[in-house]
Amino acid sequence: MSTYIDVADEAAPARKAARPTGFAQVAPALAFVAIFFIFPVIALLLRSVMEPAFGFGNYAELLGSETYLKIFGNTFIVSGVVTVLSLLIGFPVAWTLAIMPARWSSVVFAILLLSMWTNLLARTYAWMVLLQRTGLINKVLIGMGLIDKPLALVNNLTGVMIGMTYIMLPFIILPLHGVIKKIDPAVLQAAALCGASRLQCLTRILIPLAAPGMMAGALMVFVMSLGYYVTPSLLGGTANMMLAELIAQFVQSLVNWGMGGAAAFVLLVVTLTLYAVQLRLFGVQNTGGR
Amino acid sequence: MLLNFDRLGWWRYVLLAITVLTAAFLLLPILFIAALSFGSSQWLIFPPPGWTWRWYAELLSDPQWLASAWTSFKIAAIVTVLSVLLGLVTSFGLVRGKFMFRDALKALFLTPMILPVVVFAVALYAFFLRIGLGGTLVGFVLSHLVLALPFSILSITGALEGFDKSIEDAAVLCGASPLEAKIRVTLPAISHGLFSAAVFSFLTSWDEVVVAIFMASPTLQTLPVKVWATLRQDLTPVVAAASTLLILLTVMLMTLAATVRKVLKK
Amino acid sequence: MSESFLKIKGIRKEYGPVVAVHDVNLEVKRGEFLTFLGPSGSGKSTTLYILAGFENPTEGDILLNGETLLSTPSHKRNIGMVFQRYTLFPHLTVGENIAFPLKVRRKSKAEVDSRVREMLRLVRLEGFEDRKPAQMSGGQQQRVALARALAYDPPVLLMDEPLSALDKKLREEIQHEIKRIHEQTEVTILYVTHDQEEALRLSDRIAVFSKGIIDQIGTGPELYANPRTRFVAEFIGDSDFISCHLLSSDNGQATISLGDKIIFDSIPVHGRPTSGSKAALMLRPERIRLGRKAGVSKGLSATVNDITFLGNNVHVTTRIAAGETLSVRLPFGHEAISGLSRGDNVHLEFDPDAAHVFC
Repeated sequence: MSTYIDVADEAAPARKAARPTGFAQVAPALAFVAIFFIFPVIALLLRSVMEPAFGFGNYAELLGSETYLKIFGNTFIVSGVVTVLSLLIGFPVAWTLAIMPARWSSVVFAILLLSMWTNLLARTYAWMVLLQRTGLINKVLIGMGLIDKPLALVNNLTGVMIGMTYIMLPFIILPLHGVIKKIDPAVLQAAALCGASRLQCLTRILIPLAAPGMMAGALMVFVMSLGYYVTPSLLGGTANMMLAELIAQFVQSLVNWGMGGAAAFVLLVVTLTLYAVQLRLFGVQNTGGR
Repeated sequence: MLLNFDRLGWWRYVLLAITVLTAAFLLLPILFIAALSFGSSQWLIFPPPGWTWRWYAELLSDPQWLASAWTSFKIAAIVTVLSVLLGLVTSFGLVRGKFMFRDALKALFLTPMILPVVVFAVALYAFFLRIGLGGTLVGFVLSHLVLALPFSILSITGALEGFDKSIEDAAVLCGASPLEAKIRVTLPAISHGLFSAAVFSFLTSWDEVVVAIFMASPTLQTLPVKVWATLRQDLTPVVAAASTLLILLTVMLMTLAATVRKVLKK
Repeated sequence: MSESFLKIKGIRKEYGPVVAVHDVNLEVKRGEFLTFLGPSGSGKSTTLYILAGFENPTEGDILLNGETLLSTPSHKRNIGMVFQRYTLFPHLTVGENIAFPLKVRRKSKAEVDSRVREMLRLVRLEGFEDRKPAQMSGGQQQRVALARALAYDPPVLLMDEPLSALDKKLREEIQHEIKRIHEQTEVTILYVTHDQEEALRLSDRIAVFSKGIIDQIGTGPELYANPRTRFVAEFIGDSDFISCHLLSSDNGQATISLGDKIIFDSIPVHGRPTSGSKAALMLRPERIRLGRKAGVSKGLSATVNDITFLGNNVHVTTRIAAGETLSVRLPFGHEAISGLSRGDNVHLEFDPDAAHVFC
């Protein structure tokens, strides 16, 4: 009788079964996220339809009141403006960054990363000081003779837009530069040979090819701006509330969990819808900014 | 031609101008705050009439500021350790595991990064109030851990996916147990990912504002909360001093992270 | 025509300390298919890119119909180009890709549509207008690139190793297509490749590039029969080299000695012959006669190293007294092969006018 062991045969059953493995390793994190993330959010949403009474009363109040609608409107408008500004400034910078010599681009990169990772409050504070009536920006503008009286640049939505654009720029520039870097330069060369001038190459070839990256960045910035709390609160002042501060006020000052939950749910739904739309139109993009 | 820097003609100068201006726009506020923190004007006049260390002295001798800084540090340190450990175990499961919905699960773990923080902050605040964790250290750690974990998972899965598993298998063949092989072979190889996870987790917790605002109590404040509360009242230059120290910390950590990463990756 | 069609004069291109192109001079006839052949780094692609306007030469000029091309930017040169990596516009359909240069020239919609259809017919891709490049194979994409380059009827078509990304069988198919399209459109083609077979198959003339200059220009047969440098001899076709001594030279013919005793005269010589110097004798494997014993004319004795059967040819590698290896190519069934085996002594002979000496 042969004592020869067929190693392949022994291994075969294990291979054939292909048991699910590794689930035990993700289970703890899954439980953690479920308990401390998913559950509280769902609980909050449930409160929005259960307090003070069962039903959609909170939503009716939220979407029916002029004050609240104005806040929604402000939030969307500010987010929209910030997104457009970030795109307008961010696209040329991303383009330049993608084709610059490495010594220069590493400097710009360092500045971008530093800006992104510096404490948010520190950066917002800087703009609070800069945009004051007696602040540096007004001083320079008056000094240059461009204006006579100081502009009201803070404690209003203008200040919010300036500050938010400042914060959102790296979130557009970094991913967009990656997208542009992936475009084959020979395609642009071929377009030039076909007779297209620089402007035609830009509008007919470069921008269409970079468009998915721009849309992904724009969406990320828009969604982030919608839900931003710190910067709009500090730069906008109490009279110009945006959605996040509304939610905070319901919950902290007014202890109205129903309305707070309702407002939060509206924000959540809008966010998820926008992500779903982007996923459908452009597939999975790199939305992680950091 | 448009993607060739040398052949853009005069467009090159326009693009460079926009880039330089934008870089300056991004950098100047940071430098401005640092300069302001040494200015002697209480009303933040710039350029300042004189230079002083006064604000730093005030900052570092104020027990409230120091307490909040210490609180921030404690929380960030604990969160870092937990985040890296939990992230490590989870990453092994996500990268090596074969089970249903694995990709969906990975997306789920990354969700806290992309959903508006204020929703999460409010929800968790409500939840913790109910179970009595509001305003406690444990509450802070748990909430920050939710936010730091995605970064940790991203860094470590990235490093693990770039690691050739057959090296670990070779170690097992040499006689090491699977766990031993992971500790002695895999972990050192992905150490740059672990380090990134640690740095990102620390910074995420240290800088975190929104959740902290809701989670804070009069006796337990993190440094960002103290800054926030102070700013809601007035614009004292002490905040500039605190901000500058925070900026310095970021710069140091980022440089450290970059250099250590390079060294570890070899 | 007194003026040449396309004249490349004294082109030199430096990248800092590196000289990619030393001194390239070339006159291209209208309608001809001229190939730049050479190994990578020989300057052939750089010269092509200067023609396209993607690089500016350090020195030199390019004249098209007597007018300098260098002052015109790329997009006004009206030159067609096909790249190695297809470079179709990924976000446009096949039809839109071909229409692009026409739309940029503001042609009417009717003109654009008819020309697109004509081009698709030319490259035999009718019906593919609405496909996207990503949905097509490499060979099909390359044909679309060709259609796009020819759509605006350029006087010159540049092709930069367009087939090197394709597998052998597909390459031969498209080489056929390119030749057919050349005959049909009579466009002047400048083609870059490192594949000598491809060059021989497609071109009217070949310019052999080596280290930034053109070693020799000529038709395939000219280059094969009369290589002017050792590089050209080695690059085109198979060759055998034996070191020899140059005894004397006169009027393009040399007398050489192999070893001490064997002297050959009347051999075409190239380069700078100096009496008494070392030189290299080049023979084509199929022009060496192999016999079992010494024949009438002078020859070399050698031992058989290896016999390889390759279908209709047999390669016999032999070793001569001086130690060098000579490859001899004989047709299958040749009398000299029967009974030949390793280690046998044989006698090699050749005609002087079938050999070349390079100094």
